[in-house]
Amino acid sequence: MCEVKLFDIHFSYNTNVAIDNISLTISQGDFVAVVGPNGAGKSTMLKIIAGLIKPTRGQVQIGGKDIFTAKGHGLIGYVPQNYGKNVQGFPATVKEVVALGLTLGAAAAKKKAANHITNHMMELVGVENLRDRRIGELSGGQQQRVMVAMALAANPQLLLLDEPTSGIDYEASARIYELLGTLNKNLGITIVMVSHDIEKAVSWANKVACINRKLCFFGSSKEFDGTHAQSRHLWYYTGQ
Amino acid sequence: MEFFQYDFIQRALLAGLITGIVCPLIGSFVVVRRQSLIGDGLGHIAFAGVTGGYMVGLYPVVGALILTIAGAVGIELVRRRHIAFADMGLAIFFYAGAAMAIIFSTMTRMPSTGLLSFLFGSIITVSLTDVITIAGAGTLVLLIVYFLFDKLMLMSLDEDIANVAGINTGMINMLFSILTALVVVVGMTIVGILLVSALMIVPVATAHLLRVGFKATMGWAVIFSMLSVFIGLTSSFYLDIAPGGTIVMTAILFYIIMTIIRQCIAFKERLKEQISSSFGDE
Repeated sequence: MCEVKLFDIHFSYNTNVAIDNISLTISQGDFVAVVGPNGAGKSTMLKIIAGLIKPTRGQVQIGGKDIFTAKGHGLIGYVPQNYGKNVQGFPATVKEVVALGLTLGAAAAKKKAANHITNHMMELVGVENLRDRRIGELSGGQQQRVMVAMALAANPQLLLLDEPTSGIDYEASARIYELLGTLNKNLGITIVMVSHDIEKAVSWANKVACINRKLCFFGSSKEFDGTHAQSRHLWYYTGQ
Repeated sequence: MEFFQYDFIQRALLAGLITGIVCPLIGSFVVVRRQSLIGDGLGHIAFAGVTGGYMVGLYPVVGALILTIAGAVGIELVRRRHIAFADMGLAIFFYAGAAMAIIFSTMTRMPSTGLLSFLFGSIITVSLTDVITIAGAGTLVLLIVYFLFDKLMLMSLDEDIANVAGINTGMINMLFSILTALVVVVGMTIVGILLVSALMIVPVATAHLLRVGFKATMGWAVIFSMLSVFIGLTSSFYLDIAPGGTIVMTAILFYIIMTIIRQCIAFKERLKEQISSSFGDE
């Protein structure tokens, strides 16, 4: 069970409030798109869910446990936004990077099983033909797929992605969304994804969390796309 | 061969080859973590440790070990607190090491031959105690790198991912800094304080040109490093010069040769492409 609960989360950098009293529940199998304007606190919220930042106030629970107890058992896969600066020139092959994901899991896989899992993950995200290429030599979209494959190798129940399509062309980003949609539907992985691409994100996600420091909207993407279409842009840009 | 008959050469070779293995092993991670100058910073602190140790009557290598590990811990703590200005923190430790070394060396009146052997490396001053110290430290480095390999590689790729996976990144970063300090002290006996960092970086840079995977790059870096140590030590014996320079120049020569080969391969590939595209046009 991988229900994510945020209880009255508040976070501030010195005196600047980044997240203000956000409470929400993400159910097992949800695909949640976190949208909002620049500086709205989307990435901060994702880092709080991932347990990378301790909130000033409030608590995050994953499967009923506090995030700082829950993390570290391969439960959460995380694909950060700024991995690119490290990846450029990194001398590891695609296969080596995906295999690294196995070290994130609860128990280290045996060598034969490790090879099988690595190959399967590469096939799943469509990078098996790039297995011997160095990750730094790939395009942004291909790198993103490799990072998703690495996160998946640990067999996570919750996948957190920060702007997975930023800096990627239209076609490649469409393939990333398609991949995430498949993972969510076929494998039942709960996905929380921060995105700027509101139209695309909302079309793939089943729930939307629109934040601008505060939680402006949390509900089904249909509701966000339909009933609240009039006020959508107002929320998005002003948080009012 | 006459060269291998001398006890001091056997000791220098043994110590040199262990150095040749551990320097690029740690260097492979240092390079991808964008910390290529950490070896220089720690080298200067090690020099302060050598002179400081001599001043208080400690075995110079032990003095270097204590101060270099303290410096490594300090550099890591500053890096954690000021991540955006990590290189500035390193520079301050670098200068502090150099300044302390100057002060201690003028206070102690350490014989200049002793100072020079630590600065430029030496093959005649490698004692059995040095070999045992280097072998012990080298084994420790190998074991830790073996057991932490995946975690170190993952943290070099992205620390946040490692953190979410529950890896104690703070503890491993600290351990890695201490290992780097250990390797600097291990390497300074043969290669010298001024150039020990080069043996951590240059063979790795050469291996990067082969464009193979992470483990293969590491393996090739060790091969280039060991060859450089062997050729450099042999040359230094016959030419009667300090080994540090010959070892590092050999390593740089490998880098230049590999760069030329790489350029030739790239040129050949471009030519092939041009020929096939011009035939395709026709």
